Amino acid sequence: MAHDAPSSSFPLGRLLHVLRLTAQMPPPRRPPLPSHADSLPGCFLPLSWSACAQCCVDLKSCQTASIVTADASAQVRNHADAQVQTEALEPVSVQPPSRCDIPRLAAFLRRVEAMVIRELNKNWQSHAFDGFEVNWTEQQQMVSCLHTLGYPPAQAQGLHVTGISWNSTGSVVACAYGRVDHGDWSTLKSFVCAWNLDRRGLSPRQPSAVVEAPSAVLCLAFHPLQPSHVAGGLYSGEVLVWDLSRPEDPLLWRTGLTDDTHTDPVSQVVWLPEPGHSHRFQVLSVATDGKVLLWQGIGTGQLQLTEGFALVTQQLPRSTKLKKHPRGETEVGATAVAFSSFDPRLFILGTEGGFPLKCSLAVGEAALTRMPSSVPLRAPAQFTFSPHGGPIYSVSCSPFHRNLFLSAGTDGHVHLYSMLQAPPLTSLQLSLKYLFAVRWSPVRPLVFAAASGEGDVQLFDLQKSSQKPTVSIKQTQDESPVYCLEFNSQQTQLLAAGDAQGTVKVWQLSTEFTEQGPREAEDLDRLAAEVAT
Amino acid sequence: MAEVEETLKRIQSHKGVIGTVVVNAEGIPIRTTLDNSTTVQYAGLLHQLTMKAKSTVRDIDPQNDLTFLRIRSKKHEIMVAPDKEYLLIVIQNPCE
Repeated sequence: MAHDAPSSSFPLGRLLHVLRLTAQMPPPRRPPLPSHADSLPGCFLPLSWSACAQCCVDLKSCQTASIVTADASAQVRNHADAQVQTEALEPVSVQPPSRCDIPRLAAFLRRVEAMVIRELNKNWQSHAFDGFEVNWTEQQQMVSCLHTLGYPPAQAQGLHVTGISWNSTGSVVACAYGRVDHGDWSTLKSFVCAWNLDRRGLSPRQPSAVVEAPSAVLCLAFHPLQPSHVAGGLYSGEVLVWDLSRPEDPLLWRTGLTDDTHTDPVSQVVWLPEPGHSHRFQVLSVATDGKVLLWQGIGTGQLQLTEGFALVTQQLPRSTKLKKHPRGETEVGATAVAFSSFDPRLFILGTEGGFPLKCSLAVGEAALTRMPSSVPLRAPAQFTFSPHGGPIYSVSCSPFHRNLFLSAGTDGHVHLYSMLQAPPLTSLQLSLKYLFAVRWSPVRPLVFAAASGEGDVQLFDLQKSSQKPTVSIKQTQDESPVYCLEFNSQQTQLLAAGDAQGTVKVWQLSTEFTEQGPREAEDLDRLAAEVAT
Repeated sequence: MAEVEETLKRIQSHKGVIGTVVVNAEGIPIRTTLDNSTTVQYAGLLHQLTMKAKSTVRDIDPQNDLTFLRIRSKKHEIMVAPDKEYLLIVIQNPCE
């Protein structure tokens, strides 16, 4: 019976209206029941609620006080523009001597000198900390296999893992499939597969990125800064750069098959920083046709040759007597390359003739070769080292000592060379078959790993024993060779190795291989100083 | 001036000493035998650590004060001689 209250946007108004209506109505009173049931036979019950029937029902209401609203407007009358920019922190440098107070400094040094000399002496003679070592991280006692990765379509074709690389963040491992024994290469398509090990739900048979290549990929290298760019060298002599984060069109740059391209399979690719711009990189490729080429990616997807070098037998430095090549070929095939961590222009080349060469990018002499090239080819070799008994398959420069490098080849020996002398410092026989890869550890100056043709990954600790490997990890059950291995420089306990069965195994090394001991750098220096007289 | 240099040279030529840095009260290095970036790192970090060590000692016992700070690490030992105005940092490779 309520009238249509005037519609207001405020529901409170409606409530008020209803309350006003109800306030006009008299309080409801129930009709009084007979106080005693006279007409009814039976028992007589006094009804007590009749007294309550007289009490009236009160309506109570509560309401918040009405909200006061007011309208006001504001406007900015003056405004000013201001810009904010961070500035590169001024590097705090040592204050020049003239600014500080010399007499006060002299007084201070006089005060503390005696105490400091006393402590230095005590420290020098103290044996308090002998044999005292602190373990900050959990100790891992054994080497264990963390992941076994493989790509079934490639394994079904009988492809081997020929190249392996960790990316710049250390979380993605990529492998290249191809065949080392040069099977039917003309129709052989090969793959580059990448697994992201930090991703949850890692599927060992399902790579996170797969790229098809037109011919067998023989070597692989991830970009040092870009986590998804990877360069690969092909059997056809081409060099390709892919971007693994673009699944629909991963190919970034390619050399194509021009006059400049290698005429032989590419043995190794390396990323080098550009001389002027340290954040831009070029790709260096070496192949058995004797050429060392430096490529720059330009906008059209083409890798353009910027510098080139050619190895010619007549121009090799005569530091050691080399066997005369029976076929009289003039080119010297390069099979491996390693750049020095201390001098960015210096690199070591491993050759088919078994002798490492010390080379430099900064040479001026032209190469005596008739190979066509858009860029003049130069002769890079500066020093020749004593040869192995067979072709070299891998070289590695020590990240801790500027003169030491390792080389391994088909004679099953690993040679430790110093760049200052031609004969090796040590020669270790690790395998009765070939050795395919050798790498220095990125954290322990005296540790290196080698991949053998017998299916083992051998870890050598020169501090423990200089004759036999500290740990020998069996990678393949049927003794098929392990072709490549790489340490992970971000997660230093990981080592990835690829073998002839098409599997990549990621090994977790025990703590003894990942933590530097107290005097290792000095021991390495001592080793390098043992120059044969 | 010569006295300062001589004293520093005596300390630096002691057995096993790798480097010496003198830092002023604001944490700015004023003398060093190491390269610039390493010096700046040592100066900044050890200045903060010395202030913390000093306040720790004073908090435990207000009558006490910090006289010397030594940090032993796997590779070497860092010694800090603190003062009101300056800080002398010496890094030594002790014989094992």
